[in-house]
Amino acid sequence: MKKKQDTLLRNALSLLLLLFTSITLILLVNTFMNSFKSSSELARNTFGFPSTITLQNYITVITEDNFFKYLFNSLFITLVGVFFLLLLSAMVAYGISRYEFKRKEVVSTYFLIGMMFPVQLCVMPLFVILRNMQLLNTMTGVILLYIAGMSFPVFTLTKFFRNIPASIEESARLDGASEFRIFFSIIIPICKPVLATLGLINGIRIWNDFYIPMVFLSDSNKRTLMLSVYKYMSDFVRNWDLTFAAVVLTLIPILILYFLCSSQIVEGITDGTVKE
Amino acid sequence: MKNLLKSKPQIGFILPGFLIYTIFAIIPIFSAMYYSFFEWPGIGEKTFVGLDNFITLFTDETVAPIFYNALFNNLKYILCIWFVITPVQFILAYILFIKIRGAQYFKLMLFLPYVISSTIIGFFTTLIFDPNIGSLNAVIESMGGTRGLWLGDPNMAFKILILVVLWQGIGTGMMIFYSDMQGIPNSLIEASEMDGANEWVKLTKIIFPMSISSFTTNMVMSTIWALAVFDLPFLLGGVTGGADKSLDFVNIMFYRYTFGTALNGKSNMGFGAAISVVMFLIIAVITLVLTQLLKKLEKN
Repeated sequence: MKKKQDTLLRNALSLLLLLFTSITLILLVNTFMNSFKSSSELARNTFGFPSTITLQNYITVITEDNFFKYLFNSLFITLVGVFFLLLLSAMVAYGISRYEFKRKEVVSTYFLIGMMFPVQLCVMPLFVILRNMQLLNTMTGVILLYIAGMSFPVFTLTKFFRNIPASIEESARLDGASEFRIFFSIIIPICKPVLATLGLINGIRIWNDFYIPMVFLSDSNKRTLMLSVYKYMSDFVRNWDLTFAAVVLTLIPILILYFLCSSQIVEGITDGTVKE
Repeated sequence: MKNLLKSKPQIGFILPGFLIYTIFAIIPIFSAMYYSFFEWPGIGEKTFVGLDNFITLFTDETVAPIFYNALFNNLKYILCIWFVITPVQFILAYILFIKIRGAQYFKLMLFLPYVISSTIIGFFTTLIFDPNIGSLNAVIESMGGTRGLWLGDPNMAFKILILVVLWQGIGTGMMIFYSDMQGIPNSLIEASEMDGANEWVKLTKIIFPMSISSFTTNMVMSTIWALAVFDLPFLLGGVTGGADKSLDFVNIMFYRYTFGTALNGKSNMGFGAAISVVMFLIIAVITLVLTQLLKKLEKN
């Protein structure tokens, strides 16, 4: 009797979650279908299959607007940002976890402060700093801001490095390899999986970011994909056929990445948590 | 220099990251404190005004009510995270943990919105809840109901925001709870089953106490983010804070006053800095209280 009740409850929960998760599915599929409708059809039919499929929205978004420029900007900022974020974070974490020095705890806590103060609350001084360095409205400036968000990666990598046995470096050191050599040719290859998960979650964060590009990249040449989607959205009523196509184009790479690497993405998030 | 790197190689490893981190993550915190004592349009002379910016923020007839309203919204948002979103994340994690049918698929789908940019989430929300073009009104009308204002309704807008955050933000916290539950030793659960514990007893007597540290992580982190929330309310309500300022948050107000000219018709960076400083203090107090509270809970 009891077992039966249990199964019933379990199935009810499954059904409930099935309904809840269909919201996501319906939204995505409907957006995809809408992107193939002409603007006159969209006015009559915003839900369901298109009666005639047109590629015009995509053609307009890609050719008339600077889609490839925005795509390039987003890719450039994300890839360069993630590369240096991981490189510098790994170096910092390595320095903290593998060497003994005075005030080590202070240094390691210092790198955690950034977690407590979200960058959004610092934009005003950041604006002044970037302006003084003549980096306002430059991709370099934005990339530097992303690199500075290294608290989480440093924390995760420090934890990771602490678990690598010291004997690995000792033998290389005896062979006369320099410290940097050891780091790049022995340590980095070992932590490839961690770097991959960290790269994924930070890459997604940077790719999707809206606030920093909005504040610091007002020049339309430097616009990222997210900003361009936002521009379409803010003029939605006039451009709504195009908005759907732009949204689909922006979503596709991230969704492919998600379905290929969802377990690493999840790992990246659960690894980076602060546990006492 | 070369010798220094030889004797203290950690400096070579730490320094490059240290410099960028210090310039772009730490100095801004302190310079915000510094600027908050000045009146400064962003260029030219700074005038020292002491605590005037803070006094304006808390007592000025036109500014203070806007600030209190925004701050109140932030606090309301935090309460929703603590008492609605976090519990739901915990329960969902548990449902996945007991492996109901389709758990693998649900995990994938529940986490999916996390990778979608808030810009696009905002777009989806508009598509459904916009009073003029939203499909919700179209559905209601086709069924013979009356159109609602939804995002345009000051009593509804905030609830819609929370609903959207629940949908988008559920994945991270849920996965943190979930991965912690998987770390609970099987023997512990089996032993309780031998004692005849049902699901409810297992959940409250074993899983919940073992998840307190995840609660700390989730709640502290989401509280910090909640105090800095910007994207979604901005995308849904615009820079003015939505219908009747029901979607106005401190960070949106901050944006208006720092980069716009909302205060006396001229932009005042010092005033914006003062808002940041108040938020820093609130973050520090809330996280301190929260971690102490949850630590106590963990000990008991």
